[in-house]
Amino acid sequence: MPRHTKRMPLRRTAIACAALVGILMFASMLWGAGSLTVLQSLQALLGRGSEEAIFIVHELRGPRTVLAVLVGLALGASGTIMQSATRNPLAEPGLLGVSAGASFAVVLAIYFGADSVGLHFSIAILGSLAGCFLVLMTTQLRGAGADPVRLVLAGAAFSSILIAVTTLILLHDQRTADEIRFWVIGALGGRPTSNLVWAAPGILGGLVLVAITTPALAALSLGEKVALGLGHRPAFTRLLAMTGVAILVGTATAAAGPIAFAGLIVPYFARRLVGPDVRRALPIAMVLGPSVVLLSDILSRLAVRPYELPIGVVTACIGAPVLIAVVRSHRLPRL
Amino acid sequence: MNRRRIRHSRAIQPQALQHPIMALHAEIQAHRGARRSFTCALAGLAIAVTSWFNPVSAQERRLDTAFGPVAVKTAERVVTLDEGALDTALAVGMKPVGSVAVRGGKDLPTYLQDAGKGVKIVGTTREPNLEAILAQRPDVILASPGLEKRVYDILSKIAPTVVPSVATTAPWQDRNALYVAALGKEAEYQKRVEEVEARIEALRARAQAGQTFTIVRWMPQGPMAMSSQLMAGRILTALGLQSTDIAAELGDRPHSDILSLENLGKVDADWLLIATLNEQGQATLDAARKQPAFTRLKAAQSDHAVTVDGQVWSSATGVLAANRVVDDIERLILK
Repeated sequence: MPRHTKRMPLRRTAIACAALVGILMFASMLWGAGSLTVLQSLQALLGRGSEEAIFIVHELRGPRTVLAVLVGLALGASGTIMQSATRNPLAEPGLLGVSAGASFAVVLAIYFGADSVGLHFSIAILGSLAGCFLVLMTTQLRGAGADPVRLVLAGAAFSSILIAVTTLILLHDQRTADEIRFWVIGALGGRPTSNLVWAAPGILGGLVLVAITTPALAALSLGEKVALGLGHRPAFTRLLAMTGVAILVGTATAAAGPIAFAGLIVPYFARRLVGPDVRRALPIAMVLGPSVVLLSDILSRLAVRPYELPIGVVTACIGAPVLIAVVRSHRLPRL
Repeated sequence: MNRRRIRHSRAIQPQALQHPIMALHAEIQAHRGARRSFTCALAGLAIAVTSWFNPVSAQERRLDTAFGPVAVKTAERVVTLDEGALDTALAVGMKPVGSVAVRGGKDLPTYLQDAGKGVKIVGTTREPNLEAILAQRPDVILASPGLEKRVYDILSKIAPTVVPSVATTAPWQDRNALYVAALGKEAEYQKRVEEVEARIEALRARAQAGQTFTIVRWMPQGPMAMSSQLMAGRILTALGLQSTDIAAELGDRPHSDILSLENLGKVDADWLLIATLNEQGQATLDAARKQPAFTRLKAAQSDHAVTVDGQVWSSATGVLAANRVVDDIERLILK
């Protein structure tokens, strides 16, 4: 395991990142696509100003800020765990069949007549779990579950199949296409506040699950045999970690739609800051994740006022260069 | 094959006899995927131009289309590849032999299904089915503005193809003028337009001049304002109502981007007409009513937020659609 040259002290980094989250949450309440000035927003935040301003700040920006933090937590943590479990710095929740599984399940549900927005989240979580487990099963078929490359390949292939079928359904039925458009584009605004109620426990549960696997994952990064020698059970660890990832990504996708690249760039920056050990990278990723999502959301509101960009466009703009940087760096960091 | 060829020769100019239908079939096959060369286009145009020396050419109509001058001799078997053209043909009492399915559907626009009973579906606006069009042996093809050149090149070999060059936001009365000229039904069309205009004039007294309106498509992230230069907007304006600024200032664009929920005030008006592209208008409205940002609108509070058929209100241009819009206005606004 190559050591990172510039390792920053964990605690200080975590505090700095947490402060960044705080600042960005505050900024998220102050800036929007509307005509409110920062000063008016500040007053509204304190409960003064016009009723309209208070509504915008408290009812529109408040929930989406909380949602951004939750989704950021989920994507940052799941990306880190996935990259660690597959030992692949390019692994991304979108690659494991999770996002595709969630989208496919929702499209299927709408195609067969479901139309209420509230129905989607449970179906999305089921779909992402199903997608994830199908990918895991594929890799187990030939007794090669230990091979991270195989996992990623299976995930990519499986995702492509699901996306193809999803597209087929969308082409076939315009009603589904109309309703799904909102759903397949990640966005934080306009999500019902009730999303927070079920997303919060889902994401917290997923976080607990992935947190308890980190010691075993850290041992796994030393190699399968070493981990076995240390008394860990690699297959079980991976299963547990992937279940956690599926819950996290499924919930986040159901709550805000797929947000590309966040799960890729957050672990990358986290490792750059504190080194590749998953026990150190995970807490940093959990504070960096919300920062990235919050920043992207703020940019998405300000880029094309009075309209809004889908947040996925912003994360893609930030994420694509990072992806290229990772690939281009002369040696891929081994995990 | 033989029978088809004889009938074909009756419909098309004598030169077509030397141009076996099989060759055209082969060309259509070759066209799939391959881009048509410019020489082929010239050849096609040459055939079209040189072949009009029949004695009947007294009735020949010369039209100035987006692809240059086109001569139309007879218009008995008409294929419409545009919803406005279909509406116009039906309005002047001509039933096309073939037409394209409504955007995102498999059938004619719902509002034209009765009048257009028996019209064969020959593909979609984006992808006309060339073989199906050929099988109808049309003597004129009325296609949408913005038809691709490579498709035009093929179509113009099947029959004279009329492609107007008008903006989506042009006055609806003028938008279909070239189709009318191709059909040679100027007088009938003028009469039908005047009927609509007379209806509007008669209703003016019942409308409250100066009331504001916006036609929107409602998405969970926010609404898209439809330009007030589109037909429905122009009819409401002709009645004395006034568009909100955001819908009036879109220029050539048929609709705005998705507006941030923070800026709903920009679409709020005395009347908010929500165009739905599926039959689930009520479901769309119900979903919107669950959003606190929607219920704050003055249109929603005064129960002046109503759903209308998007096939008629957001994309249609013909006189039959215009009558539908006037019907809806009478039913919903002037009741």
